[in-house]
Amino acid sequence: MSKELIRLSDCVVRFDDEIILDHLNLYINDKEFLTLLGPSGCGKTTTLRIIGGFLTPTSGDVFFDGQRCTDVPPHKRRVNTVFQRYALFTHLNIFENVAFGLRIAKTPEDEIARRVEEALELVNLPGYGKRRVESLSGGQQQRVAIARAIVNRPQVLLLDEPLAALDLKLRKDMQVELKRIQREVGITFVYVTHDQEEALTMSDTVVVMDKGNIQQIGTPEDIYNEPKNAFVADFIGESNIIDGIMLEDKVVKMYGKKFPCLDGGFAQGEPVDVVIRPEDIDIVPVDQGQITGTVTEVTFKGMHYDIIVDFQGFKWLIQTTDYSPEGARIGVKIDPDGIHIMRKSRYSGMFGDYSSYSEAYDELNVDADAVTEGSDE
Amino acid sequence: MKKNSALSRAFTFLVFLFLYAPIILLIIFSFNQNNSNVVWGGFSLNWYRELFHNRIIMRSLYTTLLVSLLATVIATIAGTFAAIGFYGLRRRTRNVLNTVNNIPMMNADIVTGVAMCLFFVAFFAGWKDFALWFNSVQTLFELPTRLTLGFPTLLIAHITFNIPYVLLSVSPKLRQLDKNMIDAALDLGCTWFQAFWKVILPQIKPGIVSGALTAFTMSIDDFIISYFTAGSSSSTLSMTIYGMTKKRVSPEINAISTLLFVTVLLLLAIINIREARQEKLALRQQAAPASLPAAAGNPGRRKPRAPSWLAKAAAGIACTGVLATAAVGAFQNTRQPVVNVCSWGEYIDEDLITQFEEETGILVNYQTVESNEALYSLLKVGAGDYDVIVPSDYMISQLIEEGMLEKLDYDQIPNFSLIGEQFRNLPYDPTNEYTVPYTWGTVGIIYNTTMVEEPITSWGAMFDDKYAGEVLMFRNSRDAMATALLYLGYDLNTTDEAQLREAAGLIADAKSRGVYQAFVMDEIFLKMEGGNAAIGAYYAGDYLTAVENNPDLAFVIPEEGSNWFVDAMCVLKDAPHYNEAMAWINFIASTEANLRNMDFIWYASPNKEALEQYPAYYEALYEEELDQETYDIIAAPQEVLDRCQSYVVLPKETRRLYNELWIKLGIQ
Repeated sequence: MSKELIRLSDCVVRFDDEIILDHLNLYINDKEFLTLLGPSGCGKTTTLRIIGGFLTPTSGDVFFDGQRCTDVPPHKRRVNTVFQRYALFTHLNIFENVAFGLRIAKTPEDEIARRVEEALELVNLPGYGKRRVESLSGGQQQRVAIARAIVNRPQVLLLDEPLAALDLKLRKDMQVELKRIQREVGITFVYVTHDQEEALTMSDTVVVMDKGNIQQIGTPEDIYNEPKNAFVADFIGESNIIDGIMLEDKVVKMYGKKFPCLDGGFAQGEPVDVVIRPEDIDIVPVDQGQITGTVTEVTFKGMHYDIIVDFQGFKWLIQTTDYSPEGARIGVKIDPDGIHIMRKSRYSGMFGDYSSYSEAYDELNVDADAVTEGSDE
Repeated sequence: MKKNSALSRAFTFLVFLFLYAPIILLIIFSFNQNNSNVVWGGFSLNWYRELFHNRIIMRSLYTTLLVSLLATVIATIAGTFAAIGFYGLRRRTRNVLNTVNNIPMMNADIVTGVAMCLFFVAFFAGWKDFALWFNSVQTLFELPTRLTLGFPTLLIAHITFNIPYVLLSVSPKLRQLDKNMIDAALDLGCTWFQAFWKVILPQIKPGIVSGALTAFTMSIDDFIISYFTAGSSSSTLSMTIYGMTKKRVSPEINAISTLLFVTVLLLLAIINIREARQEKLALRQQAAPASLPAAAGNPGRRKPRAPSWLAKAAAGIACTGVLATAAVGAFQNTRQPVVNVCSWGEYIDEDLITQFEEETGILVNYQTVESNEALYSLLKVGAGDYDVIVPSDYMISQLIEEGMLEKLDYDQIPNFSLIGEQFRNLPYDPTNEYTVPYTWGTVGIIYNTTMVEEPITSWGAMFDDKYAGEVLMFRNSRDAMATALLYLGYDLNTTDEAQLREAAGLIADAKSRGVYQAFVMDEIFLKMEGGNAAIGAYYAGDYLTAVENNPDLAFVIPEEGSNWFVDAMCVLKDAPHYNEAMAWINFIASTEANLRNMDFIWYASPNKEALEQYPAYYEALYEEELDQETYDIIAAPQEVLDRCQSYVVLPKETRRLYNELWIKLGIQ
């Protein structure tokens, strides 16, 4: 892996009595596409602003290339930012917007002209220099914002939910575009989003955050396949999260039945969260099923059906190409690699149920609840 | 349905007619050939031409423009920074400050004006003590001990009331400003100051410009606050116009008012059009992402911008120009000898001022005020810092009594010897130590010969049912009471309470019987010239102006006798330009000046040579003989004067009684 470029060390941000960032530690490698992913209020934008220099952490330090730069103002950092709602200067035309940073740096005029045109070409807007900002579409404005940042040849480009204001189709195109740009200029991108799909599509590394804490750092595959806790499992894609008990390595007990799995290293009889992705569940005839349930809801999604199935009061989401009518009894089968075991965390029981409140479910979990509370961090 | 819409259109038309008719009338009469506001004498641009030759108006126009421009520039800068400061505050603090900011705009101008005046006067008093102390402890600098109201105070006042308007128009622009834009600028390498200069300022520029335009309009428009803070050495256009209305609303005022109206209208139009355009732009900006091609085609037609260095240079030159004129003006004021004169509107042939300035090199700050009482209150508040004033007889005795006048140095006024014997040592100044008479005249009844059956000869006409609804009475207590006292055969200056109550009763009775159409001062011109009233009591000189526009009018000094009045020049105690004041008084007392004033204002001169020479002067000037009857009305012959009496100041308790009786009459 390439060398480390940015390090946030034990950063705390506190507004009044509210803790926004709680002892955050993070390092970012050179030329990496790193995404900070999380729901609003999780501290991802705050983290970005610390890196950009717009915010000084209440405590903790920021290192850039090994140098401490906690108090260095934004204009002295080799970092540029693309803002959520573009923040283009409407009183200037496109050329002047892109040239803004170069002019501040007193770059010679001919070099400005050359670099601005290069940057506009990079974002697929050659010849747009004379246009006015408001004459461009949202997607084009966002490209200008990227060009405006990149033209300064920063070492790191920060992107604060740059695609949030665009419609779905445009967003998908821009995701590809952004990845291409990052490859072409070969610099570090730190990308903030709440859209898990965006994060998985573009990133080398995804940092999942919640409540000012990092929940998990990993490649998109790691994050998706091996979520560390119920929060991550739920936030990244769809998950059915069921209470289980680890009987021994590679065997977990749910619904009073044993299921083979691939995970190990848990204590014998340890209560765990079992994650089963909706697409990893096979529908089989009732007699062949590991467990059986009743279909309560079917939604056509185009490529597949979303089926809600009631297993003894706990509702699962299953994605399948096979149609099962509402009210049908079905059996399901889960391959061992479709089952992912997580230790109990403070998120246990908060996610992964697709039913509304159900008494049967409550009774079924009385024992498990007691255990969960005991083992809470 | 159709009928309905025609009706509503008619109604709209009526509403607008109601709103704009007075102004339209004013504009029409500004193009009137003759000097009436009622009788149309044909189209002409005379009054506009005259306007630009009127030095008082031109000087006040200069003052107005200078103070408005400077106040606008300073208030815009201060207001913009204040708005940015507010923007950075916490919301609650900001709301409180915004409310505080709004109060001066809601506050009555008169309160602001008086408060400012009091503040300045109090500050000057404090400054005097400080300066005296400072000058006594060191000799390096000599601080001026005497500060007065003037251009600087006027400017400060204007800046003060302009700032809230700038704030009000800049703040919303700041709130609309995308905070990210500032971050973006910092991110792209700007320091805080560069970000302000290159991003914040251009983004809030529309707000700043409309704030500045509003401030400028307010400055041009202001009268009340200026009135209390301008002092004696400067006056704004609206103050001058107000002073001119003392005599009558001359078409010159119509002309300047028309110009003022058009200017303010233009400014408002610019402000509104700008706002409309910005709104449209904002709308387009919102719509842009949805309809890309349409929007992309549009903005290409924008006017190409002048290169920025050109704009900067132009702005620089404009600023330097303004500052330079201001500096030169201030310099002139300090170096050139000056005399501050306060008189009535249209009460001097203004060429005399120019002539005096050319002959002596003394700059004349010529101010006008609308009545003796207004002058008195200005002097009392300390806002009237004049050298020479021209009050009427009764006011002079009051000023002497209160020790507000300075004795004159008659050695410096050789022309005093030309003043007729009968105009010296008058009751208001028995030993003639304080005054040099300016003009004199009589009070009588103006009547319309076509509207009365027989010639009027008695003050009784003022109380007669025969002319019910056709009579105009004075709207000032002294003159109104005089008509009744004279009719009852009492002394004009009586202090007898019973007599005064009887006189007031007579007026009240006539009023209750509906004899009076109105209580008026200069409105009498309009009413009498237009034939809207039959009888009105007023001053002889003004009758002569009115009869030019309506030959049916006649004038009589009733048989019971009347009041004759003298306006005289005096100098205020501690006048800063005493010697200059003497020079001015001497100049105005000369025969030539008296002749020209007499011809201009048609009030009689106290200069015996001028009085004798006037008929010949008139003939030479207009190539026609002066009617003896007219001359007798200007300068009442001795046998008429023998019937007349002048006012003297009344004792305090009588003045209070006058007040009480006047208030009981329920006028004003």
